[in-house]
Order: sequence, then structure tokens, then C-alpha cells
Amino acid sequence: MVEVNIQNVWKYYGKTVAVKELNLKCPENSFLAILGPSGCGKSSTLRMLAGLEHISAGDIFFGDLRVNQLPPKERDIAMVFENYALYPHKTVFENMANPLRLRNVNREEIDKRVRRAAELLQIEMLLDRKPMQLSGGQKQRTAIGRAIVREPKVFLFDEPIAHLDAKLRAHMRGELKHLQRRLETTTIYVTHDQLEAMSMADNIAVMHEGVLQQFGTPSEIYNHPANEWVAGFVGEPPMNFLNCRLERGADGVVAVHPSFRLALTDAQRRLLEEKGAEAEVRLGVRPDTIAYRAGAGSGLGIAAKVFVTEPLGGDMIVEVQLGADRITVKTKIGPSANLDEPCTIAFDAARIHLFAASNGIAYF
Amino acid sequence: MTDQVVGDTGRGSRGSARLAAAEAASPSGVRTIDYTPQRFNPTPSRRYYFYMMAPSIILLAGISIYPFIWLVYMSLHTLGEAGQPDVWNDFKNFTRFATDGKFQQGWLLLIKYSAMCMVLEVGLGVFLAVILNRSKLEKFLVTLILMPMMMAPIITGLVWLFLYNGAFGWYHWLLQSIGILGATSVLGDSDIAMFGLVAVDVWQWTPLITLITLAGLKRVPQDQLEANMVDGAGPVRNFFTVAMPNIYPFLLIAVLLRFMDNFRFIDAILILTGGGPGDATNILPVYLFDVSFQYFKLGRGAAVALTLLLVTIVLGMLLVKIFEDPKRKIKVHGGDEG
Repeated sequence: MVEVNIQNVWKYYGKTVAVKELNLKCPENSFLAILGPSGCGKSSTLRMLAGLEHISAGDIFFGDLRVNQLPPKERDIAMVFENYALYPHKTVFENMANPLRLRNVNREEIDKRVRRAAELLQIEMLLDRKPMQLSGGQKQRTAIGRAIVREPKVFLFDEPIAHLDAKLRAHMRGELKHLQRRLETTTIYVTHDQLEAMSMADNIAVMHEGVLQQFGTPSEIYNHPANEWVAGFVGEPPMNFLNCRLERGADGVVAVHPSFRLALTDAQRRLLEEKGAEAEVRLGVRPDTIAYRAGAGSGLGIAAKVFVTEPLGGDMIVEVQLGADRITVKTKIGPSANLDEPCTIAFDAARIHLFAASNGIAYF
Repeated sequence: MTDQVVGDTGRGSRGSARLAAAEAASPSGVRTIDYTPQRFNPTPSRRYYFYMMAPSIILLAGISIYPFIWLVYMSLHTLGEAGQPDVWNDFKNFTRFATDGKFQQGWLLLIKYSAMCMVLEVGLGVFLAVILNRSKLEKFLVTLILMPMMMAPIITGLVWLFLYNGAFGWYHWLLQSIGILGATSVLGDSDIAMFGLVAVDVWQWTPLITLITLAGLKRVPQDQLEANMVDGAGPVRNFFTVAMPNIYPFLLIAVLLRFMDNFRFIDAILILTGGGPGDATNILPVYLFDVSFQYFKLGRGAAVALTLLLVTIVLGMLLVKIFEDPKRKIKVHGGDEG
């Protein structure tokens, strides 16, 4: 319904700074996830959007309207809280009706809207219960119901499904995304779970230590991380990093590690030249792009030793000792290997990332 | 739909190996068990809890139940003085209430006194608690505000006696110079004396309400307040819809305590007015004191005390019931004011 625009926003709590120079734009009706570890400033950002925290510096716009000075009730937003924040003495119906009652909507309209929201969330049969009698998932649906009855301009979600068990969380991810697509409301969703951000959002803003690290679509964030920190934070299991040296050989540019030499592609070489790469680099490889075979001399280029294997049913995580470094490989399930058993691995040069060793900024 | 998650346990590897005859896979594909264990482990004995409590039960019985039985006995007899036997008097102590003007007036004055104290103390106490809860100087201010409560009621009475004194009392001078008070002193005017006493009680006991309410306010979940703000509530509405339900149980304790205290703390009143001028502040507990310990009609005094006790218990129970029923609490609020 409205574009959300955060311009040069800072947040101080006394002398500690929580958010630094944040610039973000959430296009109309799109789903923005703010992703980061705890203490990265993502919740502070959301609370400033909600009007629950003072904006220390900078401006927030909803469309053309500057909302800095507006109290929460005048911002036309709805928020779902981490611990649901249901009113324990009110029934589910009354909880959901609360925003409407506070805006003096008439009785029939309240009844109609609450029942419609309850139907959408499949909690019609719970309307007479108190929050204490609900399961975690039902509480969460009620909290979402309270947010959607009013058709606000912006939805704010503060880790709404973080406290559900793993299976229900996976289920609710799909439901929430479906709901957002159906209601077509600008949504800002704060989470520390990269899976939630990747699976639901149109755009992701990755934050760390109060600073926006990268803004982009989930695919951009995953495939073209802006720096080493983003690359390491997004992806499960996390990306492996190895210290390498770039050398110019007869076969073009080669990344040299004590255990292997990896020739880069022409496209990668051009990118390095464009960006004036230093010789010392960090090589980033995602675990699922590494080929693995058990046994000595099993045919892949790089000889290594097995540190431990972790079977996961269909897949297997193998931790491999490569000289002084240990890297994680994700492969199809195979026989478990004993400790220190020899194996071979290979990297796919087209799917590696290189970061400057000095500041972690990505070359590609 | 959410229930599916729960149903996912079952069919453990151990279970399927030992599938007994009584077990059968249900149609939904979940392993079920329909028998009970052959032998239950003994439930741990709880008897020693009773032994642990016994000393305090005996002590309590000694200091409160025994005197209570004596009270009932006394209220039913005319007590013989100096070695004479006590005489059963066919409930004369009670039947006399019908014609006892001071007894009836004592009740009216007690109700008036309690109602005024309660409304002022709860209103002021909650208001102070809300302010303190937001203040950065909370710890310091709480200590400060608690001081009147720390004072022995008899000392409070003496201090206020001086403050109200018609010759050199500071409050007397203040009230007179702003024109509220005429030629009489606060405690000497039968129209004003009651308010003078209420002021003393409010001064001394509002801090208790504040302290207890403050504890309740600490428990109000911040996210509920915030959710209500986002839903569209202003600060006042937010307080009454979210904070109030959370502090009701605390307020109940505070009101109950004050309510009972009003029926028995008469130290300050005895010092300040002793029930006067005339009988303007002769509330029932003061009257009870006079009957029992000035005129030594212990039988009649016991009867008065017993009615007081019964009313306290009934009102106390009523109060608890009303506060515990969330649907009726609004009415209580209205009732308090009126």
C-alpha cells in the first residue's frame, strides 16, 4: 500500500549506538526481511518504524509522509511481536478485535472482519478461548490475526515464529508468505534465521553491528555476497574460507594454497583486474559446491583427510582436514569414513568467491 | 492443522522391535499402547509435610483460636466482677444493639471513614506508583515515600496533633490563612474532624498502596503495552486496558490490608480525638475500645468485637470474589467512587 523509506537513520541508546547511517527502501507491497545476528540493530530499526523508539538521527517516510514525530497509533501500522504480546485476560476474538475497538469501528463490522481474519488463519474454532489455552502456533496465528484485521499500510514482524518448534516454523514460513502475497501489504520482517529471510522475502537487508552490510534479493545475497561476513552468515552449512595467494602463471591467474592450486576463469580474472585485487585473498567455497570422494587417489584433484562425517539421512556433511585448514563439504550420503582416512576433493572454479584479505570486500 | 506436529513421534526403533500383542498400529500409522503397567511405583509419602507444619499450627491455635473461643463465650455472658461467676444473659449483649445509638452511629462513621480513606489511598497510591515507575529516581523516591509508613501510628498521631494544634499547629495556621478553616481548630470542629483523621490515615498508608502497586506495575509486560499502542491506544487507555488487569491482584492485597487495618488501627484516632468532638469521630473500633476498657463492660465489648469480626470476614470474602471475577471489576471501580 505504501513504500517505506529509511534515510540516514541512526539509533543511540545513551552512548551506545545500535544503528548507524541506515538507508533502506522497501518498495510498495513487497516483503523486506532484515536479517542479522542478535544485537545487530534490526529490532531497533523495526521499533523505530513502529514508533516505539525515538529516531536519534535521520528520517523515516511512509510514502511521502515523514513519520518521525507520529505516535504508533497514527502511523497506520500493525506489528506482530516476538512473544505474541496477546492480552491474557481477553479472548482470542477480543484480542483480534482490539485494534478495531480502539478505532471505534462499529460492532457488526468488527464481527465481520475478525471472523474473516480468523477464517483466513484457520482459528475460527478458537475465538472464545483465552490465550492461556492456546498452543504456540495458535497464539502466533492470533497475533497475526490481530495485525491483519485492520488492513494497515505496513506490517511489521519482529521474529514472529522464532519460538515455534522447527516443524511448525517451516510450515508457518509458507503460510506467512502466502498471506503476504494475498493481502499485498508492504511487510518488514525482522529475523536472525537466514532460512526465513531467504525463503520468504522479496528483498533482504543484512545487518551486522548496526551497519547495513548488503541489500538485495535473496539470490543476490546468496550468490553475490558483498563481503566475507555476509558470505559466512548466509548459507547453511556456512561457507568455507581459505587464505590464498594470487599468482600469475602461464595458465592465467591461479589461487595458491599450501595444499592446492586453483586456476581462475577468464571472467573472474577480468573482475580481479577491474577491481585491482591485492595478492592476498580469502577464498570462499560453499560446502555444496565441493566434490568429495572417499579413499586415497580416488581421482579428484586435491588430497585431504577426513576429520569427521555427519550423516543426515539423505545428505552427509564431511569435515575435511586440508593441511592446517578444516573445511566443510556437503555431499550425497555415502559410507561413513574413519578418522584421518584419506579422501580427495575438488573445487568448481566457476562457483568460488574471492574476498580481499585486508577488508573482506568481495571481488566476485 | 497445527496438531500434525505433535503426532509425529512414535514408531521408535526400539518400539517396533518389541511390538506386543496388545499393541496395534492405528489407521493413522501411529504406534499406540492400550495397556497399563503391571506394577506402579509407590507414590512418595507426604505425611512429613504435616509434621513440619504442626508446630506453627499449634502455635496459631494457641494465640488466635483459643482467644476467639473466649471472645464468643464472653459475648454471651454478663461477666462477673471480682470472683463472681459469669451469668448467661440470653443474648442480651446482642439484642441491646437495636437500641444502642452509639453502636449504630459507630458503624455509619466507620463506613464513612473507611470509604474516604480507601478511595483517596487507592487513587493517590496508584497515581504515585505510575509516576514512580517512570522516574529515573525511583529507588530514592521509594525510600522517601515509605517514611510515613515506617512511623509507629501512635507517633504519627502525636505529630499530627501538634500540626493540627489550634495555638501553634502549622497546618492549622496554613488552613486558616487560606481561609478554609474558621475560628475552630481542625480537630475541635465536629464537621471537619473526620477529614482531619482521614488525612492522617492517607498520609501514613498511601505509601503501602504505592509500594504494592509498584510491584504490580513491574510485572506488566512491556510488549503488551507496546502492542496496544500499535493497535491504537493512547497512554491513558493503555493504562486502563493493559496495566490495570495486571495490577488488579496486587491492588486486591493492598485494599484488603488497608480495609482490615481501618477496622483495627485506632492508635492515631485515640491520640487525636478519642472519638470527639462530641461523637463526631467515634467510629466503631473506638466505641469498642471505650466500652471494653473505659467502662469495662467486657461482655458487651466482646459482642461488638464479634460483629465487627464477622462483617470484616464477610466483606473481605466479598472483595476477593469481586476482584477475582474479571467481568465485575469495572463495577467495583464504579462502586468505590460512589
